[in-house]
Amino acid sequence: MRKLIAFVLLLSMMGAALPVAAQTQSSASQRRESSAQETLIRNATVLTVSHGTLQNADILLRKGKIAAIGQNLKASADARVIDATGKYVMPGIIDCHSHSMLDAVNEGTLSVTSMARTRDVLNPTDPDLYRELAGGTTTLNILHGSANAIGGQNTVVKIKYGRPIEEFIFPGAPPGIKFALGENPKRSNFQNPLLPRRYPATRMGVEEVIREAFTRARDYKSAWDEYRAAQKHGDKNLIPPRRDLQLEPLVEVLEGKRLVHSHCYRADEILMLINIANEFGFKVRTFQHALEGYKVAKEIAQHGAGASVFTDFWGYKLEAYDAIPYDAAILTRAGVNVSVNSDSSERARRLNIEAAKLEKYGDLTEEEALKTITMNPAWQLGIQDRVGSIDVGKDADVVIWNGHPFSVYSRVETTFIDGEIFFDRQQDLARRADIQRERAQLEQAEPNRAPAQGGTPPAFPRGRRPAYTDDDDVWDGGNDQR
Amino acid sequence: MRNRRLRIICALVACCALVTHFQTATRAQRNAIETYAITNARIFPVSGPFIERGTVVIRNGLIAAVGAQVVAPADARVIDGTGLTVYPGLIDANTTLGIPQPSPSTLATVAAAVGRGGGFGANAAPSPIPASAAFTPNMAQPGLRPEVLAVDLIQPTDAQIEAARSAGITSALVTPREGIFIGQSAFINLAGETSQQMIVRSPVALHIGFTPLRGTGYPGSLMGVFSTLRQMLLDAQHLREANQIYARNPRGLRRPEQDRSLVALFPVLAREMPVVMNVSTEREIRRALDLAEEFNLRVIISGGAESWKVTDRLKDVPVLLSLNFPRRTAAQSAEADPDPLRVLRERVDAPKTAGRLAAAHVRFAFQSGAMTSPADYIANAAKAIENGLARDEALRALTINAAEILGISDRLGTIEPGKIANLTITRGDLFDRNTRIAQVFIDGQPVELRPATPSTSSGARGGGLATGTWTVNVNLGEGDQSITVVLQQEGENLRGSIQGALGPAQIANASVSTSGELHFTVPITVAGQTTEATFTGTITGNEMRGTVQTVGHAPGTFSGTRPAATPAATPSRTPSSTQPNTPPSSSNNLSGTWTLTLALGPRTVPGTLKLTQQGSTLSGTLQSPFGTTELSNGSIGADGFRFTTSADVSGRTVEMTITGSASNNEMSGTITSEIGSTTFTGTKPERQ
Repeated sequence: MRKLIAFVLLLSMMGAALPVAAQTQSSASQRRESSAQETLIRNATVLTVSHGTLQNADILLRKGKIAAIGQNLKASADARVIDATGKYVMPGIIDCHSHSMLDAVNEGTLSVTSMARTRDVLNPTDPDLYRELAGGTTTLNILHGSANAIGGQNTVVKIKYGRPIEEFIFPGAPPGIKFALGENPKRSNFQNPLLPRRYPATRMGVEEVIREAFTRARDYKSAWDEYRAAQKHGDKNLIPPRRDLQLEPLVEVLEGKRLVHSHCYRADEILMLINIANEFGFKVRTFQHALEGYKVAKEIAQHGAGASVFTDFWGYKLEAYDAIPYDAAILTRAGVNVSVNSDSSERARRLNIEAAKLEKYGDLTEEEALKTITMNPAWQLGIQDRVGSIDVGKDADVVIWNGHPFSVYSRVETTFIDGEIFFDRQQDLARRADIQRERAQLEQAEPNRAPAQGGTPPAFPRGRRPAYTDDDDVWDGGNDQR
Repeated sequence: MRNRRLRIICALVACCALVTHFQTATRAQRNAIETYAITNARIFPVSGPFIERGTVVIRNGLIAAVGAQVVAPADARVIDGTGLTVYPGLIDANTTLGIPQPSPSTLATVAAAVGRGGGFGANAAPSPIPASAAFTPNMAQPGLRPEVLAVDLIQPTDAQIEAARSAGITSALVTPREGIFIGQSAFINLAGETSQQMIVRSPVALHIGFTPLRGTGYPGSLMGVFSTLRQMLLDAQHLREANQIYARNPRGLRRPEQDRSLVALFPVLAREMPVVMNVSTEREIRRALDLAEEFNLRVIISGGAESWKVTDRLKDVPVLLSLNFPRRTAAQSAEADPDPLRVLRERVDAPKTAGRLAAAHVRFAFQSGAMTSPADYIANAAKAIENGLARDEALRALTINAAEILGISDRLGTIEPGKIANLTITRGDLFDRNTRIAQVFIDGQPVELRPATPSTSSGARGGGLATGTWTVNVNLGEGDQSITVVLQQEGENLRGSIQGALGPAQIANASVSTSGELHFTVPITVAGQTTEATFTGTITGNEMRGTVQTVGHAPGTFSGTRPAATPAATPSRTPSSTQPNTPPSSSNNLSGTWTLTLALGPRTVPGTLKLTQQGSTLSGTLQSPFGTTELSNGSIGADGFRFTTSADVSGRTVEMTITGSASNNEMSGTITSEIGSTTFTGTKPERQ
């Protein structure tokens, strides 16, 4: 009897406790909700990219998506409302060629390193990311370097600076892989006199390396197919083939499940890769750099590949001489999907200006120029249904500028990713004093004070990060190609 | 007759009794030696409450009794512990104590290894390269050999072991020094004649590091490191599965090809053996945990400076936390960029990590993290206490926690009867700044302590018995031949080269003992023929002499001298007799342009060294096959000059240390780096 009473008592206590627990839980989720709350951007000039420029328009961001575009939109009571009168809103910029946030860029020891994964070496605390956000860039295609004919696997990220790495990974973005043609993989410019040359040393050799690798990938695939067929056939006493992490990604390429992003310069080598792709039945998704793409624009269009180019940057090595600033325009007119990329954590902060130049060179329209840093790279990365334009239902990756983004005088006010603010100019200005204060305090702490005597002598900075970096000597300690 | 027989029997019995008596007596005597009682001491058993005044009895290498009421046995040697505090022997949960440094390979061997090991990439052979060669990590490559056992490498006489003991550390987890698959560790007591005597448990764990291989073979980047780890673990899984299938029914199947490295991974895949991953920053730790999850490994984090940021993922993952805290080692130079905020924060956060882990209920033990001075071990544990760690937690992290994480808590880690009698005894509280280690027991034996001497093992800057440029005459039966021997001492290891009549060549297998016994091998060239020579001798002050053994020659002799200005011994020991380290007179100023000849394997390569000497500092540029690079940390003293420079070698930054000596217009020296070492000579035109 006493036991029963105790039991009832216990039950009632639990009953009393339960709603409290439920309450705390819901308030926690509410808090999460409100941090990713609704945002209403009011009265802006909206560069939608997909359907022209809207004057005095409102954009409602809700639950990470663009919920509505129009005039006099209503938001819930606790929504964040931003008056964007006189300001411009455009989709977050997508950089189709980046090496930011990589703790290692090249696995350059072999000519085929398809087993290398950029995903393994991402650094979500790289300060370059914040600077890129401040330039309106929200999505990056993180590529392996160009030291070898078949390089490593890429990662498409949203720059959710300050968050754990898992949140950076662009959900559902198709995987890709880096190829490279020409001087970098044949190591024309990086020969060490003390070491034997790595194969290949010619463009012919580069072609042979790629063909040989895909031949092996095809054999590897058939080994597995045979094993599975025998298994299905009821054969029980079987040892499965060894998994080969080098060939698995290439099988995915053959199956059309992995996008090829190939570094290239010269027209002949672009045609060479198209031929190999046709031979093995896969598609090249993008030709990266493609400085001579204008010479074979028709062939690139026919293959269905995109081109991801620099606007007016060339001459940094022999194979980069025969370039013209009309490359992007000619390719566009030929029907090629063209994007403008950075290949540099510095240029990634001002891709808007790189795109703007295309209005001058080759008379692209404003919308065509805007597309080269938004819609087009979105297609090149297979994420065009999620990002790249301001359309209802797309991810709320939008950027507020204080002027037209094609003006050198404009700067980013606020950068949203999935409806959350990841850069805000006012917040940044407000935080600077705190950072100075923290630095001063830290300098006073014992481990940061120099010992009175002894210690190792002060080290002088070895490799200062150059302000301007490019395809072939992007700073990484100064010893890599990208 | 009968009587007589009886008498004989009686005598025999008496004899037997006597013998037995003697035996008991000797055994008692030996027991007396092996039994100790520490009385009237403060005792932290860790397994139970603190004992203000009690006795610990040690018998036969084990703890026999502990407590306030325990009485010292009659046969025990009694140590009056008044004023002493007894702790379980302190543990260093991850070190390379007693593991010799791998000898630096020469550039020539590195280059040769690249030609061999690069597989698909490095080979320009016209024949098609077999598919398997393309991307099978070269198992013979050091750094990818999980089967390596620390036990096979330990040198029990290593001076570092004695230094650690003297700092109160009685046992340690010892691992091979480097690699990706570093090898398997052993838990050892820090006393014993042989490594076999020292073993408490072996193997304990497989150790993984994430540093790319030296040289230029695959994997050469962090990306490749992950791919290699993944592929080898997959290959091990595959081999295990293939072996199982084959064992069930071998008929109709090709037998799986066995591989020692992969077989060594089986216990790890079966979770029978933990995997210790050397990682420090938050992202490194997350990557390691991801990899462990991918292959369902039992992971232990080692290093773990930023583990406090990852506590949500460390509920079941213990941490071997490094006490080698970062700190600023020199004044901020005006020319240098200010330290990033991140670095300032890291230095301040490091001593707080232990307290934060304890607050988050993460299991952790302390390790020394390759610190150079073992005395910092306890001192830095005290810093962790100042930064929020409870004293008893700190003590546990130095004792029982390590024992538990490493699977030896049934025999070590606390003062409990039946456990191995490892004790650290201090005068004063362990964590007080002025505490001295009074006594250390290892395996029930008191160990002689040597007060810490200034570390000579960090003598990259020179010093030591042998460092310097020696002029040596070698007599191989055909008259004296003069050579120059440049030696650089680090601990007991030597690096260097010879030049002159028999050279130039690199020395190898080189060592010098504290008493001056010298040993090295070097290929020498006599009458156009190169043979291996072994030099054995002694160094006394600025003189060396000994014998030379060569194949095909009668044993020869050598004798050599070093310029008197070179300090004969470590300055710290005999400060009064050492000449002051004054820079050479201005007539010997090194400023100018030197034409260098660098020995690179069989070849010689030209180089140019532009030097500017101001007082005892050197600056300038070095033009070598690696490009033109700036010199840094340049200095010149009585024992020669020294500077560092970093060059890009095949896609990576390589730090090079150049040491040497110069007289008038000639110089010679050594370049050492992670990818190898070489020698050089140089000349300077008379007038510039």
